[in-house]
Amino acid sequence: MDNRCVLISHARCLIVKIVGEVDLSWSADIRKLILDAVGKSPISVVDLSEVGYIDSSGIAALVEGLQTAKSQQKKFALLAASQPVCAVLELARLDKVFNLIDDLESLA
Amino acid sequence: MSSRALVRLTIPAKAEALKRLRDDMQRALSSLKLVPQVRANLVLALHEAAANVIRHAYPTAGEGRLRLKVWHERGFLRFMLRDDAAPVDSGKIKPRDLSECRPGGLGVNFIDDTMDSWRIRPSSKKKGNVLIMRKRLRCGHG
Repeated sequence: MDNRCVLISHARCLIVKIVGEVDLSWSADIRKLILDAVGKSPISVVDLSEVGYIDSSGIAALVEGLQTAKSQQKKFALLAASQPVCAVLELARLDKVFNLIDDLESLA
Repeated sequence: MSSRALVRLTIPAKAEALKRLRDDMQRALSSLKLVPQVRANLVLALHEAAANVIRHAYPTAGEGRLRLKVWHERGFLRFMLRDDAAPVDSGKIKPRDLSECRPGGLGVNFIDDTMDSWRIRPSSKKKGNVLIMRKRLRCGHG
């Protein structure tokens, strides 16, 4: 599976769709796209359904997105996080910190 | 008891090489009857250890190399990661308080949570560091 990260415009939010294995080799690109989405939209969602692996640098990009959104009174959610992503979020004790949603209809 | 190496790997100290380390670890650990999440955590811990060396120990990206050896001995999986970087201050390498929600600094926590013990020391050679980690294999290798 090739690694890629794209910004998708949705009626209610901007979605950062990540595919592949997130690690130090390209997490800076992901961070940039997440912060870009947070800057442009009141609601940002990171779709993690097709992420097979994530390391601490990828988690850091998600945390930075969340903190930036909070500081601007914006909403930030993680969509359909895959099992490997959920496991790392739990290991980092961040599974209760993020707004984890199963689908876009769940956006409050 | 067996001390045959499950993995012997040398990679350049650059982020693009981390996938190879993960793939080799995954393949080697698949031969053991590990609970899948334990295996995944071990791969993550090794990845984080190598990523920390790449990010922090080598000042110029891709300038050095990393050598990994994994073996099974006396009920433990043992991991040795060597680099040729300047000696690090081992006292500064410790897990952080996870109640603080901030980006970065999680790698050591992942290692600390996963392994039964770990320590880093300067290499006996003129330069470099050696990280030793071990994980007890439980009945059924969970």
